[in-house]
Amino acid sequence: MTLAGQRVRINRDRLRRALIGAALLGSVAGSAWSYTITLNPAAPLTVYLQVGVGSFTAIYNNGGQPGNNTTINTVSVTVPTGTVGNGTAQAMTTNSTAAVSFIDGFSFCNVPGELYIGGFYRTTGGKTAAALVTATVPAALTNAGGNTIPFSKISWTSGGNGDTGAEPFPSATFINGGVQNVGSMASNTWNESCWTFSYLNNTVPPAGTFTGVVRYTLSAP
Amino acid sequence: MNASIRGAAAAFFLACLLSIIWASPAESKTITIDDSGTQALEPSVSMRWKTASPSRTQPDNTLVGTTTIRVRINVTPWLRRSGKIYLNLPAQQPGPITASWTTQGRFMPGQIHSGNRMLVYAGPISTPFMEDVLKFQFSVDGALIRRAVPVTFHFEMDED
Repeated sequence: MTLAGQRVRINRDRLRRALIGAALLGSVAGSAWSYTITLNPAAPLTVYLQVGVGSFTAIYNNGGQPGNNTTINTVSVTVPTGTVGNGTAQAMTTNSTAAVSFIDGFSFCNVPGELYIGGFYRTTGGKTAAALVTATVPAALTNAGGNTIPFSKISWTSGGNGDTGAEPFPSATFINGGVQNVGSMASNTWNESCWTFSYLNNTVPPAGTFTGVVRYTLSAP
Repeated sequence: MNASIRGAAAAFFLACLLSIIWASPAESKTITIDDSGTQALEPSVSMRWKTASPSRTQPDNTLVGTTTIRVRINVTPWLRRSGKIYLNLPAQQPGPITASWTTQGRFMPGQIHSGNRMLVYAGPISTPFMEDVLKFQFSVDGALIRRAVPVTFHFEMDED
């Protein structure tokens, strides 16, 4: 009796294990059916920086695409005789005609008083650090006689028609030689500002035309 | 004595088995359907920005991609019965995913967010296999995917 009872219990345990096993097998078999596809980020990494005039095939929001533009624009001022070095800052003007934003055709800057700077940074996907815009600045502007004016005598204020809040390319003053950060672009954003340059005019340099070239670079991570 | 106990035990287990078998049709059960005959025409879905250009203010980070999938599911176990067939998109990495699809009429079109399922067919099962061509559009936050990621879904049957 006892032995038979044990045998029954053993059989019941075996059956229970078998049933559990069957149930597990059914569950595994059921969940095995699924279909897998792969989502593959395929948008090209694209950057665009425009300082002064730029090129687009059409307004970007209407499907336009950016292009290369090799124009080097100037920002200049002629300081009138009698005011040289008097400490009154002199507003500078640009020969750039870029007033309209290529993203939507909005009249963003007022020329010739403002220089347009803008662009975008698009990744293939994923959130990344911002792209940086830097200016490579010579130590000084020079004239034909080798005289110099420090670049730090030139500064700019930043704005834009209809803008409120912080500018992506804020107001600053040039450094005297080196690379300085002038703004940044978060991934997948369009950024733009209008710069109004001025010459500090607090020293009296020798007469002449002083020039210097600043190169702007957009670096994406 | 042993024989009678063995007999009683056998009857008990038989009753248990019968009750399991008989109980199943009365309850609504969800069973994953064999979709091994399903094929994607483009198993790698190229994901591109939803907006043609980046935003001046708040970025729209949505990536979208489309693919066509020839769905063929084996519904032989439910032949000559009725049932409801769902497309199930489980919650999975890399995060929230939205899928919408159009069909050629065998199944119903729809849209689904990951972690949910959507009815694609309800009615009698009259053929061993059900087929349709589904055009999917997947949407995902671009901030979530920096490289290719697999996404799985399956079809499941709710037995009436």
